Amino acid sequence: MLLLDYQNLLIESQLRERLKPDATPTTLDQIVSDFDNTTFHLSTPESKSRLLISLSIKCFPQLLQYGAQSVLEREYGPYIVTPPESGYDFSVQLDLENLPSSPEERDDLVRRISLLKRNAMAAPFEQAFDEFASLSEQAKGYTSESAPQGVREGGEVRAIQYREEEAIYIKASHDRVTVIFSTIFREETDRVFAKVFLQEFVDARKRGVQNAPQVLSRDEPPLELQGMPGLKGAKGEVTYVTFVLFPRHLTPQRRDEVISHIQTFRDYFHYHIKASKAYIHSRMRRRTADFLQVLRRARPETEEAGARERKTASGRAFRVQA
Amino acid sequence: MAPQTPAVVMDNGTGYTKLGFAGNDSPSFVFPTAIATKGPAGGAGGTGSGRPAVASKPNFLTGAGSGGGGNLSAKRGTEDLDFFIGDEALAAAAGPGYGLHYPIRHGQIENWDQMERFWSNSIFKYLRVEPEDHYFLLTEPPLNPPENRENTAEIMFESFNCAGLYIAVQAVLALAASWTSSKVQDRSLTGTVIDSGEGVTHVIPVAEGYVIGSSIKSIPIAGRDITYFVQSLLRDRGEPDSSLKTAERIKEEFCYVCPDIVKEFARFDREPDDRFKKYEVQQPGGRSVVLDVGYERFLAPEIFFNPEIYSSDFLTPLPTIVDTVIQTSPIDVRRGLYKNIVLSGGSTLYKDFGRRLQRDIRHLVDARIKASEARAGNAAKSGGLDVQVITHRRQRHGPWFGGSLLGQTPEFRSYCHTKAEYEEIGPSIVRRFALLGGPGST
Amino acid sequence: MSQSLRPYLSCVRSTLTAALSLSNFASQAAERHNVPEIEAQSSPELLLNPLTVSRNQDERVFVEPSVNSVRVSIRIKQADEIEHILVHKFTRFLTQRAEPFFILRRKPVPGYDISFLITNFHTEEMLKHKLVDFIIQFMEEVDKEISEMKLFLNARARFVAESFLTPFD
Repeated sequence: MLLLDYQNLLIESQLRERLKPDATPTTLDQIVSDFDNTTFHLSTPESKSRLLISLSIKCFPQLLQYGAQSVLEREYGPYIVTPPESGYDFSVQLDLENLPSSPEERDDLVRRISLLKRNAMAAPFEQAFDEFASLSEQAKGYTSESAPQGVREGGEVRAIQYREEEAIYIKASHDRVTVIFSTIFREETDRVFAKVFLQEFVDARKRGVQNAPQVLSRDEPPLELQGMPGLKGAKGEVTYVTFVLFPRHLTPQRRDEVISHIQTFRDYFHYHIKASKAYIHSRMRRRTADFLQVLRRARPETEEAGARERKTASGRAFRVQA
Repeated sequence: MAPQTPAVVMDNGTGYTKLGFAGNDSPSFVFPTAIATKGPAGGAGGTGSGRPAVASKPNFLTGAGSGGGGNLSAKRGTEDLDFFIGDEALAAAAGPGYGLHYPIRHGQIENWDQMERFWSNSIFKYLRVEPEDHYFLLTEPPLNPPENRENTAEIMFESFNCAGLYIAVQAVLALAASWTSSKVQDRSLTGTVIDSGEGVTHVIPVAEGYVIGSSIKSIPIAGRDITYFVQSLLRDRGEPDSSLKTAERIKEEFCYVCPDIVKEFARFDREPDDRFKKYEVQQPGGRSVVLDVGYERFLAPEIFFNPEIYSSDFLTPLPTIVDTVIQTSPIDVRRGLYKNIVLSGGSTLYKDFGRRLQRDIRHLVDARIKASEARAGNAAKSGGLDVQVITHRRQRHGPWFGGSLLGQTPEFRSYCHTKAEYEEIGPSIVRRFALLGGPGST
Repeated sequence: MSQSLRPYLSCVRSTLTAALSLSNFASQAAERHNVPEIEAQSSPELLLNPLTVSRNQDERVFVEPSVNSVRVSIRIKQADEIEHILVHKFTRFLTQRAEPFFILRRKPVPGYDISFLITNFHTEEMLKHKLVDFIIQFMEEVDKEISEMKLFLNARARFVAESFLTPFD
């Protein structure tokens, strides 16, 4: 597996199973987890055919602040339940007896619900992308010197504290959208590996993927974040990874894909560090086995066994029975 | 580490892996413990020899970026990411280029490289969790060498940085799973577990959460043998379809355990309409044929109780084995072992399996008591012995469910070894775990 | 093989061969005990002069002979942070599996990455020149393995970075 999926596989398979035309409704009560401390609850509280899917996500208040409500309403309009299930931030309910009839629509519904977390997290990105569009429109009339303060500086920084100690910051300006991930590596090995990986992220543009976003990484808060409240962590512990998205990434046709993809960055990054550790483990296992073999040769028993082996004239070897 | 994330429960068995979150009543994923990797099957059986599968000099990647993106995955040096697990592995192995491997043999992990990747994919692709945020509950077979535990811990902590780890014995978890049954009054961890899966059946005595290793017995009759037996009966009768898959379906849908074969034969003859069933098979090519389902309905599971009808080299019935296991256990726990015989695994799900087993064991026990009373010349009277076989609704994934039950208890985390403790003490820390759900806990 | 590696290894080889002249020697302190004197360090007359063979400031071998045991400690080259981590991981992985390695010491001597302890029982059971071969081969391969792992890590990092960024392209 190279890239992580955008959708939640478990929700997808559960729903697909239940939305089959010939599926019999059954009771369900499952807790499903996703990256970044996201929890889903799939249940059938009222009757077997009413499926309630609830989402709990750490940074939901912040997401609401950046327009999550409208994004979610756009995606799940008629299915939204208010107020959401207690203990959760957002709920949708499916009436299994009253579903879109065509298989395509059903598939689309399954897909959309399995992207629940992605869509909730997409809100600030969409907002920033929109802001970029309007800023670049405004900036057209000015040269870079004459632009008013607001256009030159760009919009406010949207902060999403999506994990305990890690956050995403998004800032739009007239010619770019900057996405900054702050991430922490607790362990020395991970930290060193991460450094190697990030260096390659930074260099990737120089080599082949010229049109990719520019990536920067540093140990202290970048300029964009100066004056932001809640930047914590001792120097060197937190790494800031900046993605600069250029106008070509921000076109309406590409924005869904770009938003989905950039969201997975942190987990992708951590996953691959772990996968390389797993690979290094397997190398070490092999090498250890090799060393053992060399050491075993030092035991004289094998010598004796070798002495009992005779060869025929044609070169074939056979063992002499003791 | 957020306090509210559910613990991840992973039960990796020889045949199937059960994955899910603690607190749920069923595993989220059940799929074969199989991994499909590039290259032919079977070659990488031992780790003892052979060079790493990945080329040792991956520097051919230099300058390759100019090729653009399309062929990225075609480049070498990343074979260790190119694999599938579970059902996807079976599908991939059916095509060319991939070989299928089963990293677990006889319940124990044989190939650590493959297991590590299997876990990696389970965590990141299927469960979608960041291991740093979750505690993990893993299972192991009885008599697992402590080195295997250490290797497991090494992988879980060093590769995945998981927050905490608990490794429990499957049989003990199966006992915990039986607490959901109404027949169980006290939540003790003493009992006999009959664990029958696809490949082998184990009878495992457990006393206060500890497996009595010397008394474990295994029986070479399990799910697969029942399927074969059904298949042979179908073939003997010349049914139009006798594939293994059909046999398996018939086994799962129609089979049950009868109290007495002779009477059951008579009943079939008396009320044929009631007893004989039809089973329709969709054959490839759109044709469908109808099969008669007859005596195999009760004969197939009967091989547990009368193995001679199936096998010529293993002849001891299951009830006798259970009785022997308990009799070879320490005398002070035998009463508890008889009182709490817990079933676990897919091959114990036949209707009335528990009832028949209970009756047969009781017969054996009563006969022995009577004999000893006779020998004592009626000078000593026995108070009798309580034999009870527990069946419950969570039997199929018993160990997983037990893990889910224990993993959601508030004290679970205090029983785990954390990453910090591992760093402090090293892998040997996992040689000992405090007994979860044992005396003293709720 | 680089210019300085060959003389370095051959020097280690002859040093080890000379040091591995061991004889059975019962403990002077406790009756019917037999301890590796190099570990016990109880009486100076049983210890021989320790010797360091250095290739450069990062790579060296420390040989401590005694009457019935020899301790060989190796400092593996670690040019940067990555190599340091990899060496640390690898030596820990090995010592974790010290049981079947007989001569591997579970803890390295301070200042070194990995240590071996060879006693007279080992030399009686095993062929001396093969033991020396093992240590030499170990030294050769460890360096190779570490640099291969480092290469792998770089290649993997590049691959991962490009795969992530390509969809943006």
